[in-house]
Amino acid sequence: MDAEATAEIAMDPAKAPELSAELAKRAALGDRLAFSELLDREYDFIFRVAYRWLGNQEQAEDLTQDLCIKLARTVGQFEGRSRFRTWLYRLVLNAARDQHRSAGRSPNTVDIGETEVADPRSADADLEREALWQAVRQLPPRQADSVLLVYAEEKSHAEAAAILGCSESTVSWHVHEAKKALRALL
Amino acid sequence: MQEDKLKKLSEIEPPRRSDEARERALHLALDAFDSAQAEKNAATTQGSAGAKRPTSIMDWMKGLFAMENRHALTAVVTGLVLLPLGYFLYQNTALTPIAVGPRAPVDLNLPVEDARGRQDAGGTVATEVTNNQSVADAAERDEFSLAEERPLAEPSPMPVSPPASKMTGIVAPDLMREQAIGNIAVSGESAYDAAASAPAQAPGYIVAPEGTGDQFTSFDDSGVKVVVAEPVSTFSIDVDKASYAYVRQALNQGYLPQADAVRVEELINYFSYDYPLPTDASVPFATDMQIVPSPWDAGKHLLRIGVQGFEIPAGERPAANLVFLIDTSGSMDEPDKLPLLIKSFSMMLDALGPDDKVSIVAYAGSAGTVLDPTPASEKRKILAALRSLSAGGSTAGAEGIELAYQLAEDAHIDDGVNQVILATDGDFNVGLSDPSALTDFIAQKRDEGTFLSVLGFGSGNLNDGIMQALAQNGNGAAYYIDTLREARTVLVDNIATTLVPIAKDVKIQVEFNPAEIAEYRLIGYETRALNREDFNNDKVDAGDVGAGASVTAIYELTPVGSPSVLVDPLRYSNEEATAAPAGDSNELGFFKLRYKLPDEDTSHLIDMPITKDLEVDSLAAADANTRFAVAVASFGQKLRHNVFVDRMSWDQIRDLAAGARGEDADGYRAEFLSLVDLAKGLSAE
Repeated sequence: MDAEATAEIAMDPAKAPELSAELAKRAALGDRLAFSELLDREYDFIFRVAYRWLGNQEQAEDLTQDLCIKLARTVGQFEGRSRFRTWLYRLVLNAARDQHRSAGRSPNTVDIGETEVADPRSADADLEREALWQAVRQLPPRQADSVLLVYAEEKSHAEAAAILGCSESTVSWHVHEAKKALRALL
Repeated sequence: MQEDKLKKLSEIEPPRRSDEARERALHLALDAFDSAQAEKNAATTQGSAGAKRPTSIMDWMKGLFAMENRHALTAVVTGLVLLPLGYFLYQNTALTPIAVGPRAPVDLNLPVEDARGRQDAGGTVATEVTNNQSVADAAERDEFSLAEERPLAEPSPMPVSPPASKMTGIVAPDLMREQAIGNIAVSGESAYDAAASAPAQAPGYIVAPEGTGDQFTSFDDSGVKVVVAEPVSTFSIDVDKASYAYVRQALNQGYLPQADAVRVEELINYFSYDYPLPTDASVPFATDMQIVPSPWDAGKHLLRIGVQGFEIPAGERPAANLVFLIDTSGSMDEPDKLPLLIKSFSMMLDALGPDDKVSIVAYAGSAGTVLDPTPASEKRKILAALRSLSAGGSTAGAEGIELAYQLAEDAHIDDGVNQVILATDGDFNVGLSDPSALTDFIAQKRDEGTFLSVLGFGSGNLNDGIMQALAQNGNGAAYYIDTLREARTVLVDNIATTLVPIAKDVKIQVEFNPAEIAEYRLIGYETRALNREDFNNDKVDAGDVGAGASVTAIYELTPVGSPSVLVDPLRYSNEEATAAPAGDSNELGFFKLRYKLPDEDTSHLIDMPITKDLEVDSLAAADANTRFAVAVASFGQKLRHNVFVDRMSWDQIRDLAAGARGEDADGYRAEFLSLVDLAKGLSAE
């Protein structure tokens, strides 16, 4: 794809997902500009997902940076068999889980709500959300991933299944188990 | 659990991301992209310099400018490109000398001259290097504050190798800047050029630029042993991984590591394997074995032994009392040394809990106690102390190591991990000059309950032998930290493995059945061989295993009657007497493992027969653990020019590893594949 084609697709939001996939393929072939464009488009997405999983701005930024660097070498592994975002989700989730696992050995402070300007009206809601979020993070990794994909990222069970590389019914089961566990935790 | 309550999770909005972090990430990622591409190119050039250079920075800048006319570029790319180009134009037209600001004046000619000298052999154009360096220089000015934040791009190979700088006399700050900014297209190239023009010592091989300065204890591969003459093989386990990081750094810098730097067992043990975990905490090891046909000799088999250590459940790691003993001698003043060290330890702090204690002692240069024992939760205080460290100054600190142990004892945690962590680039002038006095001192302190681990930084001055000796005497491990990623692996992800020993003096002994096996060869572990009688002698020190660690060893076996048997039977030996197996005829050998629990003085024994049931018909049918370990073993031996394995091609090794990658969530196995590619490109095969 030459520059004009890139620009053309960029104009048409409907083609946006295709563009990332196309950019990834170009980048895999050594196209530096395509890679730069790709990161530019996907950075905010990676950061958002990382933040939802880690709940800490600094960690999310570090993880995003690590992933951007990692993508330089792994972008070639995207084979176009799934949507690019699906592939990227999986990458972010795996990295977040690794980070969470290593952080799990020492209690990590969660600063949800801290970083935003505190609005007294939303303080209670923030606290509640934080408790909920904390509880979700206590779940086994697959359950937590399923819950976050379905409820935080608002994915269907089928989409979550594609991201997690399992069947739809497995996701439903994880969500079901998670709800049971959360009832006990909260 | 109500749906609407869970739906609140979608309201978690990330805080406004910092533009600075974003820019930094994109910048570093592009650097990584460039190095990845440069490596790819280097790998396809078969080591001939100049045949196919990575795309010149000027070319892609031209491309960008053509684009610029059509549509707006992202801020990042523009920032990266416009400024350097502007500076490039300025530098090539202005007559005024360059003012470098508060830093010492830098003589740009020095590295350029040097580069030109090196370029001549390859026949490439020296002016291109000049341009790149000016660009790098300019980019740095703009982003100096940024560079201070994050001195190193994680996986990026060093742009100019420190050893090269030693040879040519480039001053450290010069290097520091080049590296810190992670320059645009130079990174892959200059390392590549330096290596490509290095004198080839063996025909067809690119080896280290003369005299890396790193010292390795020389050792030969273990030879083939005849079972009739030597039926028993004994060695100490080795969980060190330092050699892999060194090999990786060498290959990324563009040269094949010297054979003595390659310890095959450390390469194999760098990776984690999926062995069954011990079910019972009272027996801290589980053993898993498999026998496969050898990929490099159809007449031989490989026995893969995997020993998996007990894993401490998350949150149950005992409290740690850590004393960082940090080398601040002048030679540490390079970006991959003190700055990387400080960043590494800062990362480690995040993995420590409120019960853990940290103190800091500096030696050489600015010596003395930098931080008294402080709870790890007082992060700010510890970070401030770490950041206050600076390399250079007078060499005064003689009492470094005694001071470190003194602090460790002051803050001693009963039933906890008490460890001194020595971080250095090779200056072991810690206060006891006589090496044997030093190891004795460390061994004595080990017996009193304080262990010692060694982290090696940078290259050019590293004394691998002393590093290993100190760590082994201190019941700790030696690690070589070449990138932030490696620091994360050692100090954050595997902190329990690094810090919490589950067993000490772990020895393995294998006895082979002469009725079945004619010859054997232990792959790697050359520096860990023990005498047969040492196995049952609890006084003989051996390797220690941290929580969750696994140890893998591979034996090459030649069955009786195989065409690959090397040694003729003795004419006068009494065959009847030797070929009288005590065990079952199904047994090929017998495996024994001895270990002591960390606080015990007498050893425990685990043993099991090695039976024919462990054999699989083909390598392809073996489990992924075996296949990957065999691939790494082949790679290491080939790097050591082992005569048996040399006939295997790099592609065969790569394919074997690629087929056994498994989940590889952290990408280490993928990284291994790229190292095989690099090695292939650097050797003329």
